[in-house]
Amino acid sequence: MAAHPGRRPLGPRLRRHVWAWALFAIMIVIAVVMLYPFWYMADNAFRSPGQFDRQSGHSLAGWSELFANLPVASQMLNSTLVCAAAIAIILVVSTSSGFAFAKLRFRGSGTVFLLVVSALMVPLQSIIIPEYVNLAKLGLTNSYAGAVLVYAALGTPFATFLMATYYRGISDELIEAAIIDGLGYERTFLRIALPLSLPAIATVTVLQFIQIWDDLLVGLLFLPPGQRTITAGLATLSAGRTTSIPALMAGSLISAVPAIVVYLIFQRHLVKGLTLGMGR
Amino acid sequence: MIAAARSRSSRLAARRRRAGILLSLPAVALVVALLGVPIGQAVYYSMTIWNGITATWVGPSAYASTFTDPIFWRVLENNALLLLAVPFAIGIPLVIAALLNEHVRGWRFFRSVYFLPTAISWVVIGMFALRFFSATGVLNQVLAHFGLGPSATDMLAGETSALAALAITFVWSMIGTNTMIFLTGMATLDPTLIEAARVDGLSRWQIFFRVQLPLLTRFVQFAFVITVISAFSALFSLIFVMTGGGPGFGTTTLEFFVYQTGFQQVQFGTGALYGIILFVIMALVGLVQLRLIRPSDGEGW
Repeated sequence: MAAHPGRRPLGPRLRRHVWAWALFAIMIVIAVVMLYPFWYMADNAFRSPGQFDRQSGHSLAGWSELFANLPVASQMLNSTLVCAAAIAIILVVSTSSGFAFAKLRFRGSGTVFLLVVSALMVPLQSIIIPEYVNLAKLGLTNSYAGAVLVYAALGTPFATFLMATYYRGISDELIEAAIIDGLGYERTFLRIALPLSLPAIATVTVLQFIQIWDDLLVGLLFLPPGQRTITAGLATLSAGRTTSIPALMAGSLISAVPAIVVYLIFQRHLVKGLTLGMGR
Repeated sequence: MIAAARSRSSRLAARRRRAGILLSLPAVALVVALLGVPIGQAVYYSMTIWNGITATWVGPSAYASTFTDPIFWRVLENNALLLLAVPFAIGIPLVIAALLNEHVRGWRFFRSVYFLPTAISWVVIGMFALRFFSATGVLNQVLAHFGLGPSATDMLAGETSALAALAITFVWSMIGTNTMIFLTGMATLDPTLIEAARVDGLSRWQIFFRVQLPLLTRFVQFAFVITVISAFSALFSLIFVMTGGGPGFGTTTLEFFVYQTGFQQVQFGTGALYGIILFVIMALVGLVQLRLIRPSDGEGW
């Protein structure tokens, strides 16, 4: 930008001021774009279909329609149970294997580790048909079990990568000292390494909770209709095309609340988990 | 004495090996049984006619007939068109991250707001998007407000416009994740470098394009891979809620085609075949990612 000879240059302080306010204004505009959907949902959830068409007036009609058409409480419970069970499995297998790959290398462990992590690249859609047939044959699609196993398997590669990366940061001396003290490898893992890795465990938990809570495909196919998660329930309700918009907005809102709360509390862990893949 | 110590250390090594295998076994078993075996089965069944119970062998010619199927190419074209959204899904967050990095008043609050969609299900996002783009939706009301009323159309009713609506929703949803990636990247930059550039008289834009951006290459590549993977394998819920793949095959991408073919038409073999093609495409993208992760590792595994 060449300075125009005729233009009086703004004072540097004034210019900084103008820039700061312009920046602030831009930030506000972006924030409105990002928040508007939530405002729209909250505004229209509290309307009746008629009030929605007129876009005036508020009521609880949408909510009562939602609760009449969707077992919200039991589906929220289903989501919670499926999340908890899958995350428990992911944590058990990823902490122990992460520790083994980082600290107890055996012949071929590098290859095995790479194999586990490369499973990250398998898109769910590529395996979903044989997966469904296998689990249905075993009778696991009649309960939570099938969906829990699929979620656990899908979460394990990245969780293992994350835990192994974390354990590599723990000094070898610490582990060896515990071994020499006679703790044995398994107990060294449980008593020394595991407590040290709580931050990484938190990251895995938050990341997986949001991923599983928000998922549709597995919940839709692997759970019997009576045990659907809230996200799957909501999507099926919407696909029916008979439910009014306010009721769907109410459902969207209530289904999003747990994930939003977890996000707001554990934001730091989520950011860490999502960006760790870059292997800084 | 030495022999005793050696036998003790070799005993220790054996125990260590046993512990390592024991502790890694559950993860390996889970991944092999639920991700490894099905991919092998998918390859086999992709060459059969299969309804879940009986499979009739067709052979590699199953692939040949897919590659001559115009609907398959129509679907793949949608995937290719979705790639047009990728530059926006990267460029917009890059600018937002650069603005956030100026640490203006309240930037932490703004950061939380911008990241929020990351926590939201695609189902919920699709729920809103459906109302946003419809004939009586928010978009058309805004257009009407600015006197563009006659141009009001239901974007989800036309094949091309529905795909555009899907792409716009996708870009909006990726803003959180990609901004997060770029902001992390910018935090790793040496602030004295930017200060030096400022002292040298470079403008803000020059600093951004000539100093910051070249140093962020790795992060841009990473965001690119994540965005392409999401576009090809994470949009199922969005499509399910917004369009159901329609109108026609207007918004059917390969991942949605797998679902339609397998679970709506119960052609498990052909569905598995589409899944394998998706896997090959993703593996190619994944190889790029692996090359991005590995060099920074240094020591290797």
